[in-house]
Amino acid sequence: MGNLELIVEKHSERIHHGLEVLPTLRHGLPAGLGNKRWTAELILATYEMALTGDLPKNGLEYKIGDSGGGFDVLGWKNNGFPKIDEDDVDLSISLNKREVGKKIEIPLPIYGGGMSFGSISLNFMLARARAAKKIGTYTSTGEGGYPDAIVPYRDHVITQVATGMFGVREETIQYAPIVEFKYAQGAKPGLGGHLLADKVTSEVAKMRESSMFTSLYSPFPFHSVYSVEDHKKHVDWIKTVNPRALVSVKVSTPTDVDMVAIGSYYAGANIIHIDGGYGGTGAAPEIAKKNIAMPIEYAIPKVHDYLMSEGVRDQIVLIASGGIRTADDIAKAIALGADGCVVATAEAVAVGCTHCGNCERGRGCQVGITTTDPELSRLIEPEWGETRIVNLFTAWSKRLRSILAGFGLESVRDLRGRKDLLVRYK
Amino acid sequence: MVLDSETKPSKYERFRIETEPAPHVFQIPNRFDVSARKVRLAAMLVHEAFEFKLNKEVVLSRPCIYGVFGGHFGGFKPLKHKCVGCMRCVQEYPHIMTVKQSDEYKRLGDSFWTPEAVFTILNEASTGKIPVKGMGYKGAFGGEGFDGIWTDMSEIVRPTRDGVYGREYISTCVDIGRKPTSVDFGRIDQSPSTVEVPVPIIFDDLPAFDFDVWNAVGKAARKVGTFFVTHDQTRGEDYRERMIPIVDDNSLDETLEKRPSIVEYDSERSDLFEKLSDSLPSSIVIARVPLREDTADRACKLAREGVHGLHLYADYHGQDYSGDPRHISESVKEVHQLLVKEGLRDQVTIIASGGITLAEHVPKAIICGADLVGIDTTVLVALQAEFLGETRDRNSYKLRPRKIDPAWGAQRLVNLFGVWHDQLIEILSAMGMRDVRRLRGDIGRSMMDAELREQSFKGIAWAT
Ligand code: SF4
Ligand code: SF4
Repeated sequence: MGNLELIVEKHSERIHHGLEVLPTLRHGLPAGLGNKRWTAELILATYEMALTGDLPKNGLEYKIGDSGGGFDVLGWKNNGFPKIDEDDVDLSISLNKREVGKKIEIPLPIYGGGMSFGSISLNFMLARARAAKKIGTYTSTGEGGYPDAIVPYRDHVITQVATGMFGVREETIQYAPIVEFKYAQGAKPGLGGHLLADKVTSEVAKMRESSMFTSLYSPFPFHSVYSVEDHKKHVDWIKTVNPRALVSVKVSTPTDVDMVAIGSYYAGANIIHIDGGYGGTGAAPEIAKKNIAMPIEYAIPKVHDYLMSEGVRDQIVLIASGGIRTADDIAKAIALGADGCVVATAEAVAVGCTHCGNCERGRGCQVGITTTDPELSRLIEPEWGETRIVNLFTAWSKRLRSILAGFGLESVRDLRGRKDLLVRYK
Repeated sequence: MVLDSETKPSKYERFRIETEPAPHVFQIPNRFDVSARKVRLAAMLVHEAFEFKLNKEVVLSRPCIYGVFGGHFGGFKPLKHKCVGCMRCVQEYPHIMTVKQSDEYKRLGDSFWTPEAVFTILNEASTGKIPVKGMGYKGAFGGEGFDGIWTDMSEIVRPTRDGVYGREYISTCVDIGRKPTSVDFGRIDQSPSTVEVPVPIIFDDLPAFDFDVWNAVGKAARKVGTFFVTHDQTRGEDYRERMIPIVDDNSLDETLEKRPSIVEYDSERSDLFEKLSDSLPSSIVIARVPLREDTADRACKLAREGVHGLHLYADYHGQDYSGDPRHISESVKEVHQLLVKEGLRDQVTIIASGGITLAEHVPKAIICGADLVGIDTTVLVALQAEFLGETRDRNSYKLRPRKIDPAWGAQRLVNLFGVWHDQLIEILSAMGMRDVRRLRGDIGRSMMDAELREQSFKGIAWAT
């Protein structure tokens, strides 16, 4: 074994060991870890769930963060409900509520969000795809194209079509059970994607049909879409290329997010995916992340209520993302009106992300997540990453079952819009 | 015939603020404090030496990709200033490594200026680059004042972010001065013409008496094309064409002699307004008005009396001077809305200052009704002034400027304006807006935390 291999092996072994040891708190709570949204405890609890597939047993907080608002000030009512057995709870949801088109169900109300090849390492991408396959759910390519290594998992991979059209080809649309139009994203609502020059390696450049080590800016918005009619043309285009595919429309959360949702419904979308302003994984100006567009907690009821009042709620799937960190966040999002959630950051935390935000510095992520550096990328072995992500979702399923069983609900579908089961904290 | 425009290159130049690095000259605290338990570290090295059979490259390969352990003494004497808090060393060696926010970092600022805000300004001023990070937002949810306002975005409307990168133009120009409400062809309007500034930001009067600071401010104002307000006309004198003097009895004669294009006076002194407008018919006369409960009424009165602009100010923490202090966003909104109701809004320019400390505060203050903003303590923070205590009040501040080179200082301030300009364009482009003037008072393109919370969480019971 050469020195490079030995070095990679040494560090990945130690990182894995650290991820096991840190949640035991044997060395105390790491002082510099975490922030208000992803607190140190939440990060460690996620490491623990990714290790064991179970909820933390040592008192680590795994339900809420410390942001002082949104999901963190919502809790559950806890009295007077007839409980049922957790094993009797069904967590599956349908991703197509229209009468036409393929019926797709996922066993959990969760699938993976778009993180593109180039912004993340191929190994992490593979880990996510393998986990999606194992669970029976989906992951999304993001806007960076469809690496060949992902093709074996294509029945569980959503092809994203974003404004830059990077790597969008007829066959990648034809592979896909679901095609996702990314109109906007929570990390930088109203602004196009941005891949910094350092990450545009020869593989990334080839995939995106661009030049090596040149920053890539996706335009914003789709320059061919200025109305619902244009949007419908887009949906029709995908349905012509791949009549089997369901269409998801990913948008951000402007003041008129409810209008955007209804427009997407009339354009023929199966899924309206709203991505809240506080979320996202990609590089983004700090000003955009904090200040543009509303948080997902406020957008969900706005869209749900409007779709209800228009009488179309049961024909379109409402998926929420952007700041979903825990099983409790998912259940709260559903109680606020979503059908299910998309997560991405939590998957990164499962494989060792510290939410430090240094993804765009120098060689990229130090633990191999958001990097194209050949050495760092190898710190995540796909099988190991797969196991961690599957474990995390398994632990989350237990928590979701326990919440639903506590309310006597047999299906997660019955939780949708049940704001009456929530309470607010000051 | 060949048209001129086809043969001559266009003279048109897009407005941009050229930034260049102006590194810190005074040491700034390390954000993170990394340390190793030395005995355990030594033991670990011995252990790894055996494990990897003295293969030096592997044994000495370190967890830090930022070079913190790259000094001669490795982890025994880490190069702390290089630490970015990624935590990999703690993940790999939790029994040896500790990384925390440094105490010096935590002490930065005062009760209003958080260490993070101070660091943001210091870095913007030194690099001239927009702060960019990955993995989502890391701060608190919404909150009070500007934190409780989100700006809108548009899924499909142009212009776009391309504006930042040069494909489409987004104007950040605003006018200072009174605008005629109608065209009267029978009479020549005597009121002074407006003055245009390319960015909706000016320098407000500073609690600093150091000539070098003022020269840096004057030089930056000239380079950017904006103005600086001062009560002492000997400061920044070389940049007089960019100066907005605050006139009092002592400085009246000098002001009348120098004939500045814009002048401010204390709104309590209506006699000064008369003197200034009579003697300086081509100057724009602006009343400085502290924000209080009655400011909206006073603003209407002043507008009717003919002032050309209102400089509304709160304290340095962005709180107004009401008995029960409100955030500047609230009080400026109140003034703006009453002026609109009374049909007076377009006759006066509103400058808002006090608590404008981050780039995002500019569009938010404009959404609340200001035409432009003034910055104050932010200038001193960019110039690496030291916080010696609470700096809330204009009369008792504890932010001590340091001895600086004016050229360095000017570049820091130009960088700050450049970065704020770019961030303003990010916000405008996300909204699909081509002109910052359209943003003024456009509450409909914003979202308020308190309002959304009540709408979206309606029906959710309070926990008992
Ligand atoms: S750099 Fe930090 S925030 Fe980004 S993926 Fe890696 S650990 Fe997570
Ligand atoms: S926290 Fe990260 S940057 Fe800091 S010393 Fe440890 S490994 Fe290096």
